[in-house]
Amino acid sequence: MKYDVTVVSKGIALGKAYVYKPFVPDVTETIVDDANVEAELAIFDKALASAEVELNNLVDMVMKKDPDKAMIFEAHKAILKDDDICTDIKDSISGMKYSAEWAIMFVYNQNIEILSAVDDPLIKERVADLYDVRNRMLRCAKGLEEVTLASLKEQVVVVADDLFPSDTVVMDKEKVLGIITEKGGVTSHSAIIARGYGIPAVFGAKDPLNTIAMGQSVIVDAIEGAYILDPTAEETAEYTKKKDNFDNYYAETQKYLTKPAVTKDGVHIDIDINIGAPSDEALEPAAYTDGIGLIRSEFLYMDSGDKLPDEETQFQAYKKAIEAFGGKPVTLRTMDIGGDKQLPCLPLPKEDNPFLGKRALRLCLDRIDIFKTQLRAALRASAYGNLWIMFPMVGSIDDIRAGKAVVDEVKAELDSENIEYNKDVKIGIMVEVPSIGLMSDIAAQESDFCSIGSNDLIQYTTATDRINPEVTKYYQSYSPAVLRLIRFIVKNYNAAGKSACICGELGGDTLATAVLVGFGMRKLSMSASNIAGVKKLIANITIEEAEKLADEVCNMPTSDEVEARLKEFANAHGII
Amino acid sequence: MTTRETTVKNKTGLHARPASAFVETANKFKSAIKIKNVDKGTPEVNAKSIIKLLTLSMSQGTTISISAEGEDEVEAVNTLIELVDSGFGEL
Repeated sequence: MKYDVTVVSKGIALGKAYVYKPFVPDVTETIVDDANVEAELAIFDKALASAEVELNNLVDMVMKKDPDKAMIFEAHKAILKDDDICTDIKDSISGMKYSAEWAIMFVYNQNIEILSAVDDPLIKERVADLYDVRNRMLRCAKGLEEVTLASLKEQVVVVADDLFPSDTVVMDKEKVLGIITEKGGVTSHSAIIARGYGIPAVFGAKDPLNTIAMGQSVIVDAIEGAYILDPTAEETAEYTKKKDNFDNYYAETQKYLTKPAVTKDGVHIDIDINIGAPSDEALEPAAYTDGIGLIRSEFLYMDSGDKLPDEETQFQAYKKAIEAFGGKPVTLRTMDIGGDKQLPCLPLPKEDNPFLGKRALRLCLDRIDIFKTQLRAALRASAYGNLWIMFPMVGSIDDIRAGKAVVDEVKAELDSENIEYNKDVKIGIMVEVPSIGLMSDIAAQESDFCSIGSNDLIQYTTATDRINPEVTKYYQSYSPAVLRLIRFIVKNYNAAGKSACICGELGGDTLATAVLVGFGMRKLSMSASNIAGVKKLIANITIEEAEKLADEVCNMPTSDEVEARLKEFANAHGII
Repeated sequence: MTTRETTVKNKTGLHARPASAFVETANKFKSAIKIKNVDKGTPEVNAKSIIKLLTLSMSQGTTISISAEGEDEVEAVNTLIELVDSGFGEL
């Protein structure tokens, strides 16, 4: 049987399903007879011994590859052997006549409560460890084997409801051939991990935990977006071939990941990354990219609960990103939030047309307090490297001037407080509103750089709500109108000697790469998973070819014709 | 019973790895060992319990008191005080 699903990480996988149904404890208060106390004590001792063996095995297994992960399991061992916890559990069994399972649950929950009450964030983090150890003990008390992605015995296709960071962090990635989940999304955590490790992954499977059996034979087609249960011999042969083709292509493409992006005729193109929160994982490409083309600072407001993120929290986050990139440019987009997103820390009135409403810079200029806090944090962080600040949703030269005036006010405040910052920090704009694109010759005089937000630029130029499924076909990614506008913007910024970059979807789209380079763009910003493909395409083209292609598609009548031509071009230059 | 006081020397305090190392060392002795955060004046806890140790929230500069009762109490207290004073290899 073949089922349609959504691709989150490309590739083909054939193998046996590993149905990942994590253990969920289900224990209620149970009092045993006096005669059974000895037996319950024995269950506890046995559970303790099995749990220790499991943890020792986990430590041995991960120690070489990932010593940090091993430290987590070492900490779990320390909790397991906690003198008070063990004594309290035994006392609860002998004294209160609790069953072993209930005694474990009761005592661990007590400790979870005690630790949660400690007013120290470092210590509160350890509560998660207590839950982990408690559940391990409860499972061992039931005599159940561990279902974990951390210690897979053979290569498998992981089938799950959803994967959480705690699952993927410990996941034994080399043994995971593919991933099928019910929940998820292209930008979900597990999708990012899957792409990072080149594991084919799909989501949108219907009730996979109950429709796919442990060990069932399965094919994941994460190119077309399907999975096949119990494939026939023909299907297996067909997909084995497809897999080999894709794997060769992927391996060949990955070779470009860490190389600089240089065209056949020797022109270097800066390749930047787009990130959200500056986690260690997100900053990992620092070694082989030329900077951060976009920090989506919204993560700070989304992770902030019902309070706005304070200056220090923001400062630490920006500083971390800036330091990770040494002296390379790190572009911070100021808050890009509007009435379409409801955040607990920033309640906004509902608008009829939120994409045309008070969002991003417009909101910041109305809520100067929020804007200034962010700018103060950013400017303070600028002392640690090469920070560029970028305003989103700029529609006019007035907007640029108004934004810069606030920056100047904040600079004056910092000066009066003798707080250090980089006085030459660059101030640039997102070009996503056509009106500023059409004014880009003057905008280039009034800003230090620009970055094209292609998703919104397409939405606003084609008058298509990109969230409304009724008008999807009107949202044309390769609209020649948008391409002409981009060409105009790049030309104007280049003429002023200022950098023009792109950080929307088109920036990481190998179909668009040659056209953008052909327009004269020398800096592209994209998510980490697109880097290898884009670098490969660049290595296979000359500037002359790119310019010719750019002219050609700008003169085509429709988006479909442009797309067909771009596919043909990319295929002829090593991209499938 | 043997009791001695000292202050936490290492930067990260008695968290994470140093806390584990402390409990591991305490477990080597037969005596019952207690530890107390003198600055906070909270009740003493079992020094062989990692969770109780963490609840004391002992950071750099905190004055702590370690006491032991049993056959190896003197050695236990001295060894643990030395461990804290050594800064757990962080100094």
